[in-house]
Parts: sequence; structure tokens; C-alpha cells
Amino acid sequence: MEPLVPSPGAGKEALATLRILVVGGEGGSAGGLVQNLRQWADDGRLEIDTAPDLPRAVRQLAGQRWDVVLAVLGDRPDDDLPWWVDTLRGANGSPRLIAVAQAPSMGLVLRAEKLGLLDVLSLPLRRDELVRALERLRSVVSETAVPLPLVEPHAVGPYALVGQSPAMLDVYKLLARVAGSSATVLVQGESGTGKEVVARAIHINGPHASGAFVAVNCAAIPENLLESELFGHEKGAFTGAVTRKIGRFEQAGRGTLFLDEIADMSLALQAKILRAVQEREIERVGGGETIPVDVRLIAATNRDLKEAIKQARFREDLYYRLAVVTIRLPTLGERGDDLVLLTAYFVRHFAERYGKRIRAISDRALDLLRAHAWVGNVRELRNVIERAVIVATDETLRAEHLPDELRGEETTLADRPQGGLLTLAEAEARHIARVLAHTNGQIGAAAEILGIHRNTLTRKMKEYGL
Amino acid sequence: MTAPPPVRVEKALALMPELEALAPLRALLVSIARPDEATMWSSSGPYLTLGKRGVHPDELRRRMPQAFHRISEHLQALFKGYVEALESQQRGDAPGVVAALLRAGRLEEEVGRHTQARTWYEVALGVAEALQDRRPEVEALRALGYACVALGDYAAGARHFQRSLALAEAEFDQAGATAASEGLGDVALAQGQWGGAQAWYSRGLRLAEAAGDAPRAGRLERQLGVLARKQADLAAAGEFLRKARERFEAAGVADEMAGVLNEQGRLDAQLGRYTAASAAYREALAWAQRAVRDARLELSIRLNLAELDLEAGKLLEAESELRRAEQVAIAGHVILRLAQVYTLMGRLRGAQGDETGFVFFEQAIELARAVEHSVATEAQVYHAYGLFRSRLGQRDEARAYLERARELFDSLGEAVERERIEAELSALSA
Repeated sequence: MEPLVPSPGAGKEALATLRILVVGGEGGSAGGLVQNLRQWADDGRLEIDTAPDLPRAVRQLAGQRWDVVLAVLGDRPDDDLPWWVDTLRGANGSPRLIAVAQAPSMGLVLRAEKLGLLDVLSLPLRRDELVRALERLRSVVSETAVPLPLVEPHAVGPYALVGQSPAMLDVYKLLARVAGSSATVLVQGESGTGKEVVARAIHINGPHASGAFVAVNCAAIPENLLESELFGHEKGAFTGAVTRKIGRFEQAGRGTLFLDEIADMSLALQAKILRAVQEREIERVGGGETIPVDVRLIAATNRDLKEAIKQARFREDLYYRLAVVTIRLPTLGERGDDLVLLTAYFVRHFAERYGKRIRAISDRALDLLRAHAWVGNVRELRNVIERAVIVATDETLRAEHLPDELRGEETTLADRPQGGLLTLAEAEARHIARVLAHTNGQIGAAAEILGIHRNTLTRKMKEYGL
Repeated sequence: MTAPPPVRVEKALALMPELEALAPLRALLVSIARPDEATMWSSSGPYLTLGKRGVHPDELRRRMPQAFHRISEHLQALFKGYVEALESQQRGDAPGVVAALLRAGRLEEEVGRHTQARTWYEVALGVAEALQDRRPEVEALRALGYACVALGDYAAGARHFQRSLALAEAEFDQAGATAASEGLGDVALAQGQWGGAQAWYSRGLRLAEAAGDAPRAGRLERQLGVLARKQADLAAAGEFLRKARERFEAAGVADEMAGVLNEQGRLDAQLGRYTAASAAYREALAWAQRAVRDARLELSIRLNLAELDLEAGKLLEAESELRRAEQVAIAGHVILRLAQVYTLMGRLRGAQGDETGFVFFEQAIELARAVEHSVATEAQVYHAYGLFRSRLGQRDEARAYLERARELFDSLGEAVERERIEAELSALSA
């Protein structure tokens, strides 16, 4: 009989006992599940304990460390699943979750995949399915540690420019050419590509370096407050103007003003910015005095400004004032092996901040990072690495330290029954789920991308339980 | 062709007149608003608030039938309640009339319409007052008391509970007297009158225990625990909460278990026991999952968990928890509590030394004024905003915001908070 926990490969250390907490496995639809598990665990490498429900499981998890939580979902598995993931987050030893449900729908499987579950199994539980799930868990022991490469970052204040890819070398060359002048610069690039870091680098290496670098995020500040944030206001100029306020233009005097996400500004405010750029003077809100300003302006956007001009959402005259020099930043995907360098840099950076000693990353973790579609580019990578460093317990950053979403991408739960090949329906369901995720659940937009009528899409979503 | 971008909530709401008839549409609009993925990773992503979320008119149109359905269901239930009252009237069953009117009021409370609920209860009380049997009057007064408390009218609430108690005692209605004592305790607690709250809760507990009313005794013990914690008698607080937990667990009351564990978490946090507090909150969430879905309860637990992480310096965890709380508030139609979510988010940015964090306080003030209509919440936001400015070294603005908070607490008669702010203002001037 096949052992429940797979044998390790030759030369590997003997596997430790896996501790499994079975929740809700006694009585009801799960009848006999715990009994079966106890029988299957007879080979001695599984330790089974039980909890009647989620609250009691949380209590047990607070006291002891478990490798796996096997949760028998109730009548509303789609509603239950996020609760399970949520309440197990931060549990002792970060146990992996296997959900067990009566006839799990395709929607449930896809949701589980997104939430990073180890597996979704159907009732009655089959031994071979459990073996496969545990095999995936045990594959952790076969991860090989890869030493972190050395990185020589270009320090930019509290930030750093990291990367040696051809795309980044082009950026460095342009940056070096433009920094010495006082020219206004427009930095374009997708979210998280490092536009502010580049702006800071220009400032530090330019003639305004002795002045302040003042950054304003135009999209973050409510429209009704942005004008006073930029130009300042006099006391009592409007409700809430409790004191006189010096605006960012003035704060940046003889330094650099960085206007981030400039495309999010209203046309009225764009006109005022244009005046400030042209005349080099401003007026505080509620004040009659004209104040001269001497600042270098750097603007950034993740939008296509030419398209915005066509749609009359951005002033053409302001565009040409700002885009004296344009620097376009590559996405993380366009930067090839920079991903490894950035990973190494962030691991060291956060290890130092959190007092950890991490010298390597596992090959599997690196593969997961390489395979991920980095919508948020470097900012997303930074975020992932920071969280991973916080949960890492030894000198190697492993796949288990990465967020559920990334690990979930590796699992591809729905692939398994057919040994890696999907049925047409499964492939269709997965593609629809992906497109819906892309459109944030907008059925109309998803139907447009898929090239089908929205009623057809609604029907298919119902059919697949999406 | 690419789909047009969503409309921002701040712009969408600016186009909607403040009419009561549009309130369900406003709630629907807010509940379906979401950030798009690109915005989440942009540099403005960390500052996303409700106003910066996007909404597609197409989706709003598609979801409108659901909103109509809910409105129609609510109106049907209200109309049915009224017809039942009328039928009772026809039969000469006055207690039946009162019961039907109270049911209608509770339906209004369930959807957060406390003013409307109070109107139903007032009509019910008018009928009950004419009856020889005083128990319907006791019940109507109690319902009215809680509606007043929900509306922040503590003086009226206390009056109703007092009368309810007097009548219940005269009628030997022990359950009614217990409930009225609990209500009086709640009013005193809300006003920071610790001694009064202690007396009322203790009296209620004695009555509940004598009547063998375990769930109410558990609730009163929990409230006594809250009170003891506020008075810094942490050992007594722990003891009350333990007893309450035992009662609720034996009875398997999931929502009460979630509530008492939420309070246990706060106690552990006050004792500086981070791990125990975190475990209590997580267990509270697990119990909340087993109970009938209550977004307010879940939100309260998540806010406490976030505050715990914030105070422990676990800023990443705090931020994740706050974003989850924000989603619960938005999707669960608990917009009233969003101001608290954003106030904590602002505090978090303050802890990071991030000046742009002021956007959260601005959004919280707007919500407290326009949506929650709560002076108390507005005062709390200004208080936190003042501390945020102070932390960034902006003393003039800090002073102005703290003074505004003091003024608002003054208008509420909140002596304890006022004193705290006074001390902070003195420290600022020093």
C-alpha cells in the first residue's frame, strides 16, 4: 500500500511527522472522515488531532503548531472559505489549509486557488487525493537554497536605484544627461516602476540639490484640498483653514517640486499649475499677494497623457511645458534578471530593518517570483519581500514565506484530476475567472474582452459557479 | 475599444442630492465601489479612501433591481406590521397593537433607521399607556430608550429606562426590570458615569441570576467587565469576562461569544499581552463567522485587531487589517463606522511620519459630518488629527484641531475626553 506521506528522494533526510488538525470532521456530512484519517495515519508519519469547529480550532492553533489544517466546509463553502483563510492568517507556524467540501464547484476551486489553499478535496475523502495534496506540501524539503547575489545599489536618499538590465541602463544614461540642467522632466511609467526614486535621483544630482525635495501625490489628495496643498492658504480662507498654510510650491523653494500622478488633476487646477510654471509665481488661496517661486519641477504619471489630451482631460499646453525631457521607466517584466537583484536588495534591506539574518533564497521561491505577473512592479515586489522577511524564521527565504496569492499560482488546483491537462470546460472557467479578475468583476467589460454577449457570460458564470 | 474609466465616488456623490428617497441608492453606490487594481499599486494606492474608489454607472444600473427588491421587502414588512396592528385594533387586542408597532420599529432599527424606529415606538407607547396591563408599556419604553441611545440622546434614553424600571418593579416584572437596569447601565457607561453604570449593571445581574436568565446575566457580566477595564480594575475585568465567556460557551451563543472575546482582546491589549489579545480577537472572528452575519460586530473586532497591531508597531499587519475592515464596512453597509477606519489609517500614516496621511482625517471628518451626523465621532477624529499634526511638528495646526475637538466634546458634555485634550494642549504649549 502506498504510504500516506511520500518517501523522500535518495539522500534526503527522513521526513518529520506532519501534524494535521481536522476541523469539523466528525458527524454530519463528514461522517467517518476522522476515523479514516486515523487509519491512514498508521504508518506513523501523520499526527491527527481534531477540533469541532473553527472557533475551537483557532484556540488550538493559538496553543500549538500545526502543519496542515483540514477544514470540512459547511453548507455555504463559498462564504466560509475566506473566513477560514482570514482567521488562520498569522496562526502559529503558518499552517497550510486543505478544504474539504461536498461536491466542490469550479468556482470554489478557483477561489481556493486565488486564496492560496493547498488543496480542495471532495467528500467522501479519497486517500490518493490526500496523498497528492501532502506530496505538494512535502516538496518544500526539496527546495535548494541559492545564495543572494551581491547588489551595488545607487543610493538615492532613503531609496536606491537597483538594476543592470539594458532597459535600466538607458534610464541611467538619460538621467545623467538631464540631472545637471534645471529642465522640467516628465517621468512616465506604470505604477510601482520607481518614478519617485528617479525624480529624487535627478534632484540629488542636479543644481537644486541643496534645496528641499517636496513630493505631492495629486491623486491621493481630495480635489477640494489639492489647490491649498499646492499653493497654501491664508487663515480663514475657507471652512477648515484654521491656520495660515505654506503650500508645497513655497516649501520647495530653491529645491525640487515633484508632482506625482499629475494626470489626476482637474482642468481648473492644471491651468493654475501652468500659470505657476510659466510665470514662476503663485498666490495663496484667499490671499491677494503674488509670491515668486524658484523650483525645479518634475512631474510623473502612469497614464498616457497624449491620450488624455485627445479626450480633453489634460491640457496640451501644460503637457509641453512639463515634457521638456521625458523619461520612460520599464516595467519589472521588461527588466529581466533585475528581478533577482531587486529581490536580493530588498531581502537585505528588510532583514536589517527587522533584525533577521537571511543569506539565501530557495530556488522554488525564486521560481514563484519569476513566474508572477507583477502588476504593481517594483512596489509590489518590495511589499512581497517585506512580508516574506517578517515571517521568515531561518537563513533562507522559502516559498512558504511568500504570500498565499503567489503560492496559489503554483498550485493550479484544477489541473490535477487529469494529470495536468484541463477539460475544455475547466479551461473556459479558468479563463473567464481570469478576465473577471482583470475587469474587477465588471461583467460588461469582461464580456467585451471575451467577445461574447453579457447574457452568455452571466449564464456561464452561473454554470461554473463563478 | 477600452471601457471608459469608473467614476470616482467623491464625484458620484457630489451629483446626488441629499434626499431621503435616494438613501438606498447612495448605500448601493457605496457598497459596489471598489478600487481598480492599477490604482492599488500606484503611489496614491496607500491613500485610497472611499471617495477615491470607482463606480461604473453600468453596474449601478444592473444592481438597481436588487436595491428595489430590498426596499420593497422592507416596505412590505412595515406595511404588514401596520396592518397587523390594525387587525389587533379591530379585535380589541391592544397589547397586540403594541407588539405589532414595536416589531415595525425593530425592522427600521435593523436597517439603521433609528429616527423612524423611534417614531414607531412613540406610537406604540401612546397605545400602551392606556392599558391596564403595564408590561407592553415597559417594553415600549425600553425600545424607545435604546432608540434614543442609538441617536445619542442619552438624557431621553435614561428617562425612558427609568420609567420602564419603575413600572416593571410595580408590576413584579423581573425580566422587564432586569432589561431596564441594563439599559440604564448602558446610558451611564456611554456618558462616562462609571459609578452609576456599576450600580445599574450589578443590580441587573442580581435580578438576572435570580431569574436564571443566563444570556442576560452573561451580557451584564461582559458590561461589568468593560466597565472595570475602563476603570483600570483589570483583575476584576478579567474575572467578569471569564464568567460571561463560560455562560455563553455553555449556551453556544456564537455572537455573544464573539462579543465577549472582542472585549477580552481589549483587556489583554491593555495588559500589554499582545499575543493573548491577538488570539482573542482571532477567536472572536471565528465565532462571528458562526453567528448570523453581523458586519458591525466583525468591523469592531477588525478595528480592535488593527489598533493592537498599530500599537505594537506591526504597521503592515495593521494596514492589511484596516483595509479588510474598510471592505467589511463598505460591502456590509456600515458606512457609519468608516470614519473610525480612516482615523486609524491616519494614525498609522502618522506613525510612519507620512504627512500625506492627513487625507484620511479629512475623509473621516467628511464622513462623520455628512454620513454619520455624529458630533462624538467628529470630535474623536479632530482629536486624532491634532495628535497627527503634533507628531509631525506642526504645532499651530495641532493646536487648532485639538481646540476644535475640545469644543465638540464640550458640546456633548464629555468631561473625560475634554480633560485628556486639555492635558494634550498644555503639553503642546509647554
